[in-house]
Amino acid sequence: MLRVSAMQTERDIDLELINGEVSVAPGLKYAAELTAFAEAVASMEETSLTAARAQLEAVAGAAVLVDAAGVAANFQRMVRIADAMGIPVDDADNEMQNEIREKLDLYRFRSSENSRRAT
Amino acid sequence: MDYFTYRDSPFPVRADIGAAHREFWRRLAGPGNWWTGAERVAIAAEARAARTCEYCRERKQALSAYTGAERHTAVSELPTRAIDAIHRIMTDQNRITRSWVEDNAENGLTKPGYVELAGIVVALLSIDEFNRALGLPFEQLPEPQPGEPTRYLPPILSEDTGFVPMIPRGGASGDEADLFSGSRGANVLRALSLVPNALRDWKLLASAQYLSIEGMANLVGQDNRAIDRAQMEVVAGRVSAYNECFY
Repeated sequence: MLRVSAMQTERDIDLELINGEVSVAPGLKYAAELTAFAEAVASMEETSLTAARAQLEAVAGAAVLVDAAGVAANFQRMVRIADAMGIPVDDADNEMQNEIREKLDLYRFRSSENSRRAT
Repeated sequence: MDYFTYRDSPFPVRADIGAAHREFWRRLAGPGNWWTGAERVAIAAEARAARTCEYCRERKQALSAYTGAERHTAVSELPTRAIDAIHRIMTDQNRITRSWVEDNAENGLTKPGYVELAGIVVALLSIDEFNRALGLPFEQLPEPQPGEPTRYLPPILSEDTGFVPMIPRGGASGDEADLFSGSRGANVLRALSLVPNALRDWKLLASAQYLSIEGMANLVGQDNRAIDRAQMEVVAGRVSAYNECFY
């Protein structure tokens, strides 16, 4: 969805943000703070979360922090739904999606076993 | 008691988020399709206990994920297999397999019961994680309400994918007509559809914390959000990658 949204809004956003390989994206406001906050939530590590929360609020404000918290919390559960129910991806033959999966090396994840890999 | 007022929050929380959390708390307290209100609240309490369960921590590092179901630091009288399922979904979900789900089903944790349990765990998680992300304490769990589970099953189900039966694409009609509306029935929507109210809880919370199904078509951004869609997807993507989510 990130790539599609970036295309729609004519922005150049490096998808490696997702893997934490890069932390800046000139086309995306607060990219570094948002990714650090997201990672801190997912890590369940309170010290880094406290620091990331303060940094995001300082640069972007409380409203951005609250909405980012909502999204991060929502996706903490999505992985658990997918894995607990064993669902495969819907678009195993979608060329663009497969290109992204390969680029980000998502097949390294154990849960990829629930999906057919396009050949 | 007034839940989720967010009056003491140092950050202004959108009213629709508090409203969605309160509505889930109301649903959590009452009987479901396969668990009583007391059992549903116990499932939520057990999910919270999993965060500090020593055995979960130990097992996550172990090569075998399928030993010691009775060793969790439990806080409820739920059956051992239910406790293990709750803790596993919370702390080691990417090692869940079809054979484990099948074995549970043959030994008392039915697939509908498992789906309802999972729905409660993940809904609670998304609410608790929202609070934790903002440095706020967890809300007190609601008082269970009396009543018996309905044991309702959707009339149209298929076993074409995943570990449990699901409503097929195009199969959400009658009482389930609302479930996939505005979507093509993606697998992530179908996942909990064996227990339709679990999917309704999913949609309720997603609409407030992320986007509604209809809102997902807006790739630019919504007026009532402080971050645009690309910013949302960076947060979503980073959390998902950290959790090793292939989906």
